[in-house]
Amino acid sequence: MKNAVALLVTLLLLPWQAASADMADAVKSPKGYGSKGYVWGKLLPEQVEVLRRSGDMARGKEAFRGCRGCHKADAAGVTDGTYPRLTGQHGSVVIKQVTEVRAGVRINPKMEPFSADHAVSPQEIADIAVFLEAAETTRENGKGEGDFVAKGKTLYEQGKCMKCHGINGEGKAEKAYPAIAAQHYGYLKREMDYIQRGVRGNSHPDMVRAIRHYSHRDIEAMADYLSRLPDYRQALAERKSQ
Amino acid sequence: MRLTLHRIRGWSPAGVALLLSGMLLTPLGAQAQSVPLAERLQLCAGCHSADGNSAIPENPNLSGLDAEYIVRQLQDFRSGARKSPVMSGIIPMIDATEFEALAAFFSKQKPRPGAAVDPKLAAQGKEIFDEGIVGSAVPACSGCHNDDGSGTEKYPRIAGQHSAYVVQQLTNFKNGARANDVKAVMRAVAKRMNEKEIRAVAEYVVTLKGAQE
Repeated sequence: MKNAVALLVTLLLLPWQAASADMADAVKSPKGYGSKGYVWGKLLPEQVEVLRRSGDMARGKEAFRGCRGCHKADAAGVTDGTYPRLTGQHGSVVIKQVTEVRAGVRINPKMEPFSADHAVSPQEIADIAVFLEAAETTRENGKGEGDFVAKGKTLYEQGKCMKCHGINGEGKAEKAYPAIAAQHYGYLKREMDYIQRGVRGNSHPDMVRAIRHYSHRDIEAMADYLSRLPDYRQALAERKSQ
Repeated sequence: MRLTLHRIRGWSPAGVALLLSGMLLTPLGAQAQSVPLAERLQLCAGCHSADGNSAIPENPNLSGLDAEYIVRQLQDFRSGARKSPVMSGIIPMIDATEFEALAAFFSKQKPRPGAAVDPKLAAQGKEIFDEGIVGSAVPACSGCHNDDGSGTEKYPRIAGQHSAYVVQQLTNFKNGARANDVKAVMRAVAKRMNEKEIRAVAEYVVTLKGAQE
């Protein structure tokens, strides 16, 4: 009987699953967060290899060709957040994400074929990382409704988020904590949701703990606030000049 | 131009004659003999035309394709990694040592751009080609194949390719009948496209001119 109910639920959910634009990425990664032996930040052999290489911006721009089908030629992604903005992202973060998608630690069926070594070699990942880190943000990003921005700011700054991601949403390059300021609202919301549900395969356990108690509305408010922050490089430059 | 039966089928009389003589001279399982390039090219020309711009939309244009890409396809036809009812009959007649010269010849031929039969469909195809389909995670074709369809060192030129052939190949990638794409990239993308989107993209691809030298 129990099996029959489970089967029925599965069957009812099937069309919804098939229609979902996010495809099958909201699933627990067998190699990632929550699996036995998962340690955040433990370097994969390939990451060591990529980190050892020095990247070249011109080559990176060339190698980024294979990424622009989704992230667009200006690396600003898609405003609705289906694809994140990559401009200004720390090279360390780019390297970590590409190699972990390719290794199946972070499950991302949309990106997986394009993260394969045929699409980008270890050297090209190093090159792309340098290119993206310096890439200018020229296009407006996607933002939320704007109703709970102040609440989002409070939640972000008083919670544990700011400790790692910084007051400007700048992240931490040396720890591969991503910059999240001026990211598309839809992307921030989705990834926070995935982290909360334990289905972003390469989540930091501290982040899963930190975000656990937030409601869906809290997450929306924080995503909206972060999407409205200026590019962190701009914020840091202004702070310096003051 | 009057379409005669052999044209519709994609065989020129010369091609058929060569094919038959080739079959007679090549007992099953025997090693293919390499022949002079000019002679061999006549076999290819039967379907792909002498300048690699095939007159039959089901047969691909080879003109201007990257030589390495052509060699890889020939190797895949030989090994069975890529299946084609026509090419699987032809490939045993060709010696593998000839692949490079054949590929070099066709890669140097000047491509002839085609035209869309249905401009409205081609316009829809352009949208997909340039922007992708965000809702179903189809990346823009231009990402890998370039805005003008000229391809890169990793991904083949597709500019000006016959729409009927492009439809067939995308369909084959979608249902897995063609599986010699490196790392299954094209299969992953084609699976996310429906039949109408495939036709639209193909209708646009045929109009592309590729890089102008």
